[in-house]
Amino acid sequence: MAILEGRNLRKTYHLGRGNKVEALKSVDISIEAGEMVAIMGPSGSGKSTLMHILGLLHGPDHKCPDPGDPCPAPELYLAGENVSTIPDNQRTRIRARRMGFVFQDFNLVPTLTAMENVMLACDYAGTKGKQARIAALDALELVGLGGRAGHKPAELSGGEQQRVAVARALVNKPEIILADEPTGNLDSEHSAEILALLRSFNREHGQTVVLVTHDAEVGSACDRVIRMRDGRVRDHGYSDSVTQGAPVMAVPAVAASA
Amino acid sequence: MKLFRDLGRRKLRSTLTITGIAIGIMALVVFGSMANKMNALIDGGSQYYADKAVVSVGNMYTGSFQPLSLSTDLETIRDVEGVAAATPGIEMMLNADEAATMGVPEMIVGLVPDGDKGLETFEINVSQGRTLTADDHGNVAVLGCDLARRLDAKVGDAVQLRGVDFEVIGILAPTLTAPDKEAMVPLDAAQQLFVKTLPPMLQNMVDATDIATSITVYHEPGVTPEVLKANLETTLGDSYTIMTGKDFDEMLGAFSAIFSLVLTGIAMLSLLVGGLSTINTMAMAVAERTREIGIKRAIGASRWRIRREIVMESAAIGLIAGTIGLAIGAVMTTVFNDMGRSSGNVLFDLTLATAVTAVVFATGLGAIAGFVPAWGASRMDPVTALRYE
Repeated sequence: MAILEGRNLRKTYHLGRGNKVEALKSVDISIEAGEMVAIMGPSGSGKSTLMHILGLLHGPDHKCPDPGDPCPAPELYLAGENVSTIPDNQRTRIRARRMGFVFQDFNLVPTLTAMENVMLACDYAGTKGKQARIAALDALELVGLGGRAGHKPAELSGGEQQRVAVARALVNKPEIILADEPTGNLDSEHSAEILALLRSFNREHGQTVVLVTHDAEVGSACDRVIRMRDGRVRDHGYSDSVTQGAPVMAVPAVAASA
Repeated sequence: MKLFRDLGRRKLRSTLTITGIAIGIMALVVFGSMANKMNALIDGGSQYYADKAVVSVGNMYTGSFQPLSLSTDLETIRDVEGVAAATPGIEMMLNADEAATMGVPEMIVGLVPDGDKGLETFEINVSQGRTLTADDHGNVAVLGCDLARRLDAKVGDAVQLRGVDFEVIGILAPTLTAPDKEAMVPLDAAQQLFVKTLPPMLQNMVDATDIATSITVYHEPGVTPEVLKANLETTLGDSYTIMTGKDFDEMLGAFSAIFSLVLTGIAMLSLLVGGLSTINTMAMAVAERTREIGIKRAIGASRWRIRREIVMESAAIGLIAGTIGLAIGAVMTTVFNDMGRSSGNVLFDLTLATAVTAVVFATGLGAIAGFVPAWGASRMDPVTALRYE
């Protein structure tokens, strides 16, 4: 079943004085539950914007970029629920409980320990106290940092900080993990570590993982790579079709490959 | 608590902001304590005058003074309708050259013990020795607690009042108002002292045993002080001054109002300065943590939650500043009181109410000041915040 499905996704940023940037022009996308998908493309291709929309940080634009030019309404479904028009506070709740995020850098709050950083995600999802502590420790164990739970970010290496961020993304056992250049600031050894972590969660717990990346090696570790350019999807990454914004219905089910 | 760690992110900045508010709170505490003392003094007087009328002629301070006569004025007053008792008294300053001070000047008070026939409601208790009785005549005195301390006198000691030796037979417990600085003596002794202060011509004309500077009049049950005053005015005429509790309140009302104004002014000033400073500090903190706020929002923090974190942090600034300001203010009032105690001038009363108000006010100020930056922080678009360098 498609866990994330979107049609006619658009996003235009207005920079004032009539300047505008059409970050996403019209994107159709479908991601199955349990897939590990990479979104790749040059700078300005709209990949981060697409991830922001899939991660419900923004809603897709309902207005058309050219007022005179009519355009189809956007659609966005999360596990079958229509989430294209929900209000901000609902999007926040869904992000807190059903999604996990990893960013390229500055993931962690500097004044909190690793454990407290992970517990933040629990807190925002409504889990507190002893339950939260246990969940946080478990998550840190899973990423191999159980012994460093009491350290602040300044006392951790870049790779360790990213692992804490992954632990935080996982602690609520979300349906989807979204990662924006998670290995961007890491050397190859640590990059491989993070990737392996994400891959193992994807395989063992069936969590859907959506990665935005520059790194071709990261892309090749994923089930498929969606390539973007100039605000559109050039290639959905299915092995036998090179499509340009093809309708979603034609997509065959993707088995999780080894 | 975790949020105090956030204050530690920029120690110098937090310290400066806290210091600014603390100074304002300290001023509030010191002046508030002074106001408490003023109010106690005034309340004491108000209580004293509440159920009686005091008759005098002219005013010692303005020089239009004329003594009352026991043989004529007192008898006339006792015959007025509604008068249950009338008793004469002598009031004079202890120190001839004392300038008007902040508080009450030291006074010699001559009275007739039991002259009120039990109608006096203002309670005065001794802490040492005894009060004056009707059998006391001559040079004996009961001292108020502040005066006793200044003269360094115990029961049995001799003190000099206007150059004349008096034996101390009692010392009063603190009243927080005028009696603390009075030396109470029998009427005849006061009359002798008083006559010596009159201009020589007048001294030869008056009979020392017949004079009084005021007559205190008590009303019968069912008669209000205002009715009593009206009756006295009708009988005595315009040249006599008759003061009731209401008159006292009106007179001192202006003074008390000015003091309250000063206090409110200080509160407003510290509100303005401290509040603006905190708004600035929190706005800077929010700007510096833009990315962090973006990430928190991304992983599911609600707008309300972000606001709450910021308001709690600025409330903590207020709380710390209020506590420090209170502590410094408490030290200052204690030092000032100690310095003034030996001269009988204890001018500050730091009550629990003042202390609690100061800290609560500071915390509230901090919380409110944080609200504007908090609002801005919560309205940040997470994506824009995430991109912030």
